[in-house]
Amino acid sequence: MRPAVVLLPLLALPLLLNDFWLTQVATRALILGVMALSLSFLATYLGVVSFAQATMAGVAGYTMAYFGPNTVGLGVPLPFWVTIPIALALATVSGALVGLIARRSRGIYAIMITLAIGVAFFYFTRQNYTFFNGWTGFSGVRAPEIAGISLRDPLPLYLLSLATAGLALALVSGFVRSPLGLTIQAVRDAPGRVLALGISVTTPIVAAFAFSGFLAGAGGILNVWYQERISSFSVGLGPIIDILIISVIGGLRHPAGAFVGAVVFVLLDTFAVDLIDRERFNTLIGCVLLLIVVVAPGGLHQLGADWIARLRSPDAKSKSSVRANS
Amino acid sequence: MPISQTHTNANALEVRGIGKRFGGFWAVQDINLTVQPGERRAILGPNGAGKTSLFNVLTGDTPATAGTISLFGTNVTREPINKRIQRGVRRTYQHAHLFNGLTVRETLFLAVAGVRGGWRQVLPLRHNDARLTEAERLAEVAGVTDVLEREVSELSHGQRRQLEIGIALAEDPKILLLDEPAAGLSPAERPKLSALLMALPKDVTVVLIEHDMEIALQTSESVSVLYNGRLLAEGSPKDIMQNEEVHRVYIGGAHGH
Repeated sequence: MRPAVVLLPLLALPLLLNDFWLTQVATRALILGVMALSLSFLATYLGVVSFAQATMAGVAGYTMAYFGPNTVGLGVPLPFWVTIPIALALATVSGALVGLIARRSRGIYAIMITLAIGVAFFYFTRQNYTFFNGWTGFSGVRAPEIAGISLRDPLPLYLLSLATAGLALALVSGFVRSPLGLTIQAVRDAPGRVLALGISVTTPIVAAFAFSGFLAGAGGILNVWYQERISSFSVGLGPIIDILIISVIGGLRHPAGAFVGAVVFVLLDTFAVDLIDRERFNTLIGCVLLLIVVVAPGGLHQLGADWIARLRSPDAKSKSSVRANS
Repeated sequence: MPISQTHTNANALEVRGIGKRFGGFWAVQDINLTVQPGERRAILGPNGAGKTSLFNVLTGDTPATAGTISLFGTNVTREPINKRIQRGVRRTYQHAHLFNGLTVRETLFLAVAGVRGGWRQVLPLRHNDARLTEAERLAEVAGVTDVLEREVSELSHGQRRQLEIGIALAEDPKILLLDEPAAGLSPAERPKLSALLMALPKDVTVVLIEHDMEIALQTSESVSVLYNGRLLAEGSPKDIMQNEEVHRVYIGGAHGH
């Protein structure tokens, strides 16, 4: 019932918004949300914060550019229905590789290892001209046309992004209830104990990273169609930190928080220029982040959920604390 | 993958010269133990005697520094814990570290799937999955049926201990290592636990760490006493009761508290 409550207004959104709002805010938030979802999934269910999600998304984006239409004369153009599975597969593999490298790390060490991978990939794309076209990267990476409908147009791209976001959330909620998904959560809670059940720990960790790579890849494909270009800047520190900020604003305790965070982020990014100087966006987002961390460590999603719970039963909170004390 | 083949004449557990060193400190040293199939053995010893360290080495939670361990005639000294589980070893932990974010049902399901296989499955679980049915049976045996849907983080201490036992009983254990299963239980909960232990099939080998001398002597056929990381005495409960050295280092010490 709940998904429908959210989905119906989102389907009706194009009737209310003009093309600017639809493309610059709604579609962009959905795409960033899918990428951030790949991080919130890892953080929520494996308990690991990864800085390599922009890298996984970038692998998919570069694949779309290399095997798709572009204006730099590099690569092998293939039909989009061939390129998409290749891009998703490569993003999944890249996620699995990151997981394999970071499998023994937790907390700050996992952050450092994944950050190192992300930054290494950033410099690699800058220096490699055979596949990544170096500094400049690819431009003119157009979304395809299906049955006369161009996915470059605002409405089709919005609906595609919405469908991808919905599908990604559904995939996550299904996956975490599967035996492998349960094993991943068990690894989060007590890795040594998982081993003592006769289960290897490496497989669930690598699988979680691979799945997050798949999600990031889906976001990466949409993003390259949205931007119509990809370069080293798409996988640099900027996007790496953006994804993290979005996930933290939304809340790392529930996957859907990624989309709440993305909407806030995109609104700030779009309208910061009206509020304050464009140059001060980082100051603004930094303050928002600080506020979230201090006021609502569980993110906006958690904050909203708490408020709704409180509105429904105003005395619930005091009751529960009494019970905890007795 | 069933690795275990039971050698009918082999001992359930045979430990030769086992030692575990942490830095310059030997937590246990030069331990020899022989446990027959179906035997109920208690490991006694004061705090810090090395009982849990010995268990960790026996199960493979930590590797042994010296010595060999054989289970049913197979040398498993170098095997990691997840391989030993497949051979029928199960244990409970003194300080239960369970999966706080999972429900009791999900935890027991993983205990079954860990041995039976299929935990790599990526499709959502079906309600009629045979492993779920088995998990529910385990919950009944362990007495946690009424909290099946509850998250482990919400369980009481006693319920967590019961869940520990449910996990350890998954998929026909051959040898159960119980690390102070009664620790921290209320007087009301203790008989439930004893009944549960008494109801275990007779062919299951049980090695039990128990701080409480009386419980240990009541429930076991044979007792090994550890003191300062070494084996001090071994024998029937009666022998141990009459052993002067045991009295001096352990019982005397316990009374001194």
